[in-house]
Amino acid sequence: MNALALIQVGLILLCTTTISSLQCNHHPLQQRKVIENSLQLLDKMGEKFPQQCLREKMSFRFPKQVLKPRQKETVKVAIEEIFQHIFYIFSKNRTLAAWDGTALEQFQNGLYQQIEQLEACVIKKKTLYFQSKANRLKLKKYFKKIDCFLKDKQHNLCSWEIGRAEMRRCLQLIDKVIRKL
Amino acid sequence: SGQTNLRSPEDIQVYAVDKNFTLRWNYTGSDANVTFSAEYQWFTDFQTKVTEWKELPGCQNVTRTECDFSSAITQYYNEHRVRVRAERRGEVSPWSSIFEMVPYFIAQISPPGIELQSTNGVIKVKVSPPEADQVQKMWISDIHFKYNAVIWENSSNAVSRSQSIFPTDVIDDLAPDTTYCLKVQATIPLDLKEGLFSPIQCVKTTRKVNDLLCATNVSVLAVNMKFYLHWRNRYKQHTSYNVQCLTGYLKKLHDDYSVKWFNVPGCENITDTQCDLSPVITATSGFYYIRVQAMSEYNRSCLSNEVKVDPLITNEIGPPGVKLDINDVFLHIQISPPGGPESEVWRDHYDLSYRILYWKNSSNNEEEIKVKEIKQTIGSVSDLTPSTLYCVKVQALSRVYNKSSPYSKEECIETPRDKLLPLIILATFVSALIAVLVLATLLVFALYQAYNKIKYVFFPSCQPPLNIE
Repeated sequence: MNALALIQVGLILLCTTTISSLQCNHHPLQQRKVIENSLQLLDKMGEKFPQQCLREKMSFRFPKQVLKPRQKETVKVAIEEIFQHIFYIFSKNRTLAAWDGTALEQFQNGLYQQIEQLEACVIKKKTLYFQSKANRLKLKKYFKKIDCFLKDKQHNLCSWEIGRAEMRRCLQLIDKVIRKL
Repeated sequence: SGQTNLRSPEDIQVYAVDKNFTLRWNYTGSDANVTFSAEYQWFTDFQTKVTEWKELPGCQNVTRTECDFSSAITQYYNEHRVRVRAERRGEVSPWSSIFEMVPYFIAQISPPGIELQSTNGVIKVKVSPPEADQVQKMWISDIHFKYNAVIWENSSNAVSRSQSIFPTDVIDDLAPDTTYCLKVQATIPLDLKEGLFSPIQCVKTTRKVNDLLCATNVSVLAVNMKFYLHWRNRYKQHTSYNVQCLTGYLKKLHDDYSVKWFNVPGCENITDTQCDLSPVITATSGFYYIRVQAMSEYNRSCLSNEVKVDPLITNEIGPPGVKLDINDVFLHIQISPPGGPESEVWRDHYDLSYRILYWKNSSNNEEEIKVKEIKQTIGSVSDLTPSTLYCVKVQALSRVYNKSSPYSKEECIETPRDKLLPLIILATFVSALIAVLVLATLLVFALYQAYNKIKYVFFPSCQPPLNIE
């Protein structure tokens, strides 16, 4: 009876380790696919950038150094953090944006799945390949700037279109980097 | 006012929760009539520009060894520096050592609020986020939080378990009629931050009512991205079902998602215990929750457990198709990928490769099975022995998702006869024949000559010569 219990415990442990190692196996292909998918949906959810919003355009200056470290893992984590910020931005008050709801939902859902995967992995492994503090803060500042911009303009149509164009630019940058990884 | 023998404060510390910052220090000198004042400066850009030392609001002429300077902190992502000194009757101590900090990194997450409800053997939890009623937030948004709940039985040697929960969630797999205690913390995993725990709340679970109306064994079967939901019915009377779907990310938000469940088209008010989920499971990224609502004739309804469908993970890959073609040198294996032409979209995600098994199908069945793995849909095998039956079966593999399909049907093909061999045999036979013929002729000739010689020597003809007569 004891031996059987031991075997059962052993099997459970084996399964848990297999499952957790599976969850942490976020292949670069999956990240690439999420980015491809997200870019397609970003295009699908709205029209071309409206001319009248051109004057309100702002330069947010995405911190490109964040995508340059030598360690692959560090870049991957930076990309996950960017996904999380994008997910947050698009979950705000979007009534004035007049976008295709289905495309937007799928966009959010795709990002969220990636975020969940990495978070579960971090919780289990308790390690993270960190960027330098300076880089991490630069990234947070960049997204805070966009957030404040949207708030100041009270989430009107133009501010949303500018935000969307900026996120598109950001994702395209990541796309280029991840293809080289 | 000069610096005399006043000691400067030591062990400067900052204690921060959300955007409330408290400066603390130790003072070892005599406390009589000593007040403290602090100064601060901050970097406007990383390590390049720094402001002048300014008076720290909330920390001027304080008598205690701590002060609240939250009003001074507005730039959460910039590096700040703080220093304190003691003052007494015009005398000032030297400045203490400088404390450096980035507000965002040093701040802790305050406890969330929790509301518990015990129903039907489970505990429903509703979490209210830290900084819920704040306009200015340190943590940007409650979306960034992942909540960690710690639960234990309220008995003497209870073991606590820890699980991740959504802002609105249900904790099941609990024993009925038992008191459980709970505490929750908000975490920001990507920043490796774990917040302070909420106060402990305890609640007693009720007994689970086994309503036969509810659908049970709700499961999803998916092959080649065709998703089917199956469940079981234990209710004897007439039951109709509604299959409902919830987009995954909605659980992450703090809004009430109970109103966001929608009916799956084609599975409304059905009596079948299965449903085709294709109308809703269309994307490859993002997961969904599915549940079954059972309704009886008397307008009573019951919701089943939820099933999480993560398309590419829940899906199983079907077997590929195989076609064989053969010539003298190569056996060509043509693989048709699983799912047919329309499956290209999702096949791409799996990054499929194919494992080919091939063997010689001889009568003794002792031949070894050879394996070959390729990424393309055409493979070839060389090194063939003629006039042999070769059999092949193929399976599709996804290393990215650690999935493999069942094997395809076995296909067999026979290698052609060796054209060269009969010719060789014929040539050998003919040359052997010629050689034999030649040898035979020579032998006959030699024998004839020998016979003549022997006849001449031993049996000459007895005719006298003509001139003797």
